[in-house]
Amino acid sequence: MSSDNPYIPMPVEIIKIIDEVDTHDIKTFRFTFLNKADEKKFKYLPGQFAELSIYGKGESPIGIASSPTEQGYVEFTVQRAGAIVPGLVTAALHDMDEGAKIGLRGPLGNSWPIEFLEKKNIVVVGGGFAFTTLRSLINYMLYKDNRSRFGDITVIYGARTPGLLLYKDELAAWEKRDDIKTIITVDKGDENWKGREGFVPAVCKDAAPSPKNTVAVICGPPVMIKFTLPVFFELGFSRENILTSLEMRMKCGIGKCGRCNVGYKYVCSDGPVFSLAELEELPRDF
Amino acid sequence: MLKKTAVQKISDLAAQLMQKGTLIAPVREDAGFNFREISDAGQVDLNFYNTLMSPKSAFFPHMEDFVRYQTGKSVLDAVPVEISIKPAFLFGVRPCDVKSFEIMDIHFSGTGAVDPYWQKRREATTIFGYAFDLNTPADGADFYATLGIGAADPEGSDVFMMKKGDELLLKAVTKKGEKLLAEMSGLTDASPEDQKYFDETVATGRSFKTRLTCVEAKSIAKKFEDLFHKTPFWERISDACLSCGICTFVCPTCYCFDICDETLFGQGTRRRVWDACMFTDFTLEASGHNPRTKVYQRLRQKVCHKYSYHVRKYGVISCVGCGRCTRACPVNIDIFSIVDQAMKE
Repeated sequence: MSSDNPYIPMPVEIIKIIDEVDTHDIKTFRFTFLNKADEKKFKYLPGQFAELSIYGKGESPIGIASSPTEQGYVEFTVQRAGAIVPGLVTAALHDMDEGAKIGLRGPLGNSWPIEFLEKKNIVVVGGGFAFTTLRSLINYMLYKDNRSRFGDITVIYGARTPGLLLYKDELAAWEKRDDIKTIITVDKGDENWKGREGFVPAVCKDAAPSPKNTVAVICGPPVMIKFTLPVFFELGFSRENILTSLEMRMKCGIGKCGRCNVGYKYVCSDGPVFSLAELEELPRDF
Repeated sequence: MLKKTAVQKISDLAAQLMQKGTLIAPVREDAGFNFREISDAGQVDLNFYNTLMSPKSAFFPHMEDFVRYQTGKSVLDAVPVEISIKPAFLFGVRPCDVKSFEIMDIHFSGTGAVDPYWQKRREATTIFGYAFDLNTPADGADFYATLGIGAADPEGSDVFMMKKGDELLLKAVTKKGEKLLAEMSGLTDASPEDQKYFDETVATGRSFKTRLTCVEAKSIAKKFEDLFHKTPFWERISDACLSCGICTFVCPTCYCFDICDETLFGQGTRRRVWDACMFTDFTLEASGHNPRTKVYQRLRQKVCHKYSYHVRKYGVISCVGCGRCTRACPVNIDIFSIVDQAMKE
């Protein structure tokens, strides 16, 4: 389709659907491009997002969950919205089967600042569903040709219950590796849960990562962020070395439609990744 | 190149432009003047102060169709609507509105991703600017002089027009304008006296009085940054605001839009339509979170965006002082007064 018009989506096909959680409202969709030229053009980095586009329903901005080191497909982990606002696109997507074709616009936004992260220790902190672009980053850093570019990698990931943890197979695989420290926690375990219990901020405090040459990459629900940031301040992390990804309602994804404007930034094109230092410069309007 | 014709013969000029492409010019309507695509050269009427709606729709129409689709069919069967843009002539644009195009260019085609619709229309369009009548006082709502825009500034136009008695002077400002004027018949060469009149009018227009407050882009931008958290200020100025959004619809520099799918009997169109930060669902997220549920937050967004955020991002105030928002507001909210009050805070 149109290659020079950023508003026209590229056609993609769902080749795999993974039911991620026991509440069945979060699924990972693996897409392949129907036009080879589109696949070539879709060069992305961890932290970027794309608009999933279903004609007749609309478009939804979703973070890319796969790593660019994975060839031939791109993955998005999507929650079915609709508890408060009817989520037309996500509901339609959740009702689709493998083989269905939809549209995709992207990659959009900036990314986790890979060059800035190189040669540094990385602490990845995630909560609940907000782990998708963090997973992309982790898999990117763990890729065999990339691993030596980064220092120690620590992952602290929490969910409310064991059944709500995303990417369970990958988490288990990471736990077995010795080039990444993986700490998984749940607010409350069940009878089969043998792992850690506790809230993410408390677990971060226990883990007490050193701020020396270290960047913290934090994504999660607002309440988790609220209580996790003070822990990292206390550990001595500077605001420049704490990164997060902002959410705001979006439409165009290319900094034109004005919807995600916060202060002098457009979250879609200037973000979604910001350092805490950058965020604190913006009005609290998100 | 300075040419002239009788104001009475304006329909001859219009007819020639219609031969060459689409002519968009002010026409008299029930509620006032508006820019319309002209189908009858006699409709063009230059006896107006300014139009109700801004001329931005010549490049950024209220609705723009992107794609046609059918429900039940594959995404592969969807057909992008071709951007076929004929040469166009935008005729009779006031200097403050001409300035708005330059401000919108920075956003739509000068920074980051290029909006193909805006860019292609801009390239295909020749702008005929039109000086305000300096013998008539400016409307009480106007404040373009505050923003450094003269009442007869030719910059930004391809051809700039002004009335001299019952004659219309036409000055070629750009090469595009020069080529066009050279092709037109029925125009006569202006005299040295006309040239003098033209130059004097441009100069006088620079000191033409509209409401004036002292606005320097950087300091006003900083002022609004500092004022952001002063909720009582914003509550006070937005007290009467109905959040109707008319200020953004008439505005020449408001560019927010929505992208929506409209399906009827299985036939659908994905299109963009104007939207406004004044509407409560503008920032409503699928999670239910909405950072701007209150009227004061939305009016604050509009004012700060124009006078602060835009300055920091693009270096210019996103307002040309055309006065439309003030004239159109059903409860007399006046952006000039907001800026004025902010400076005194």
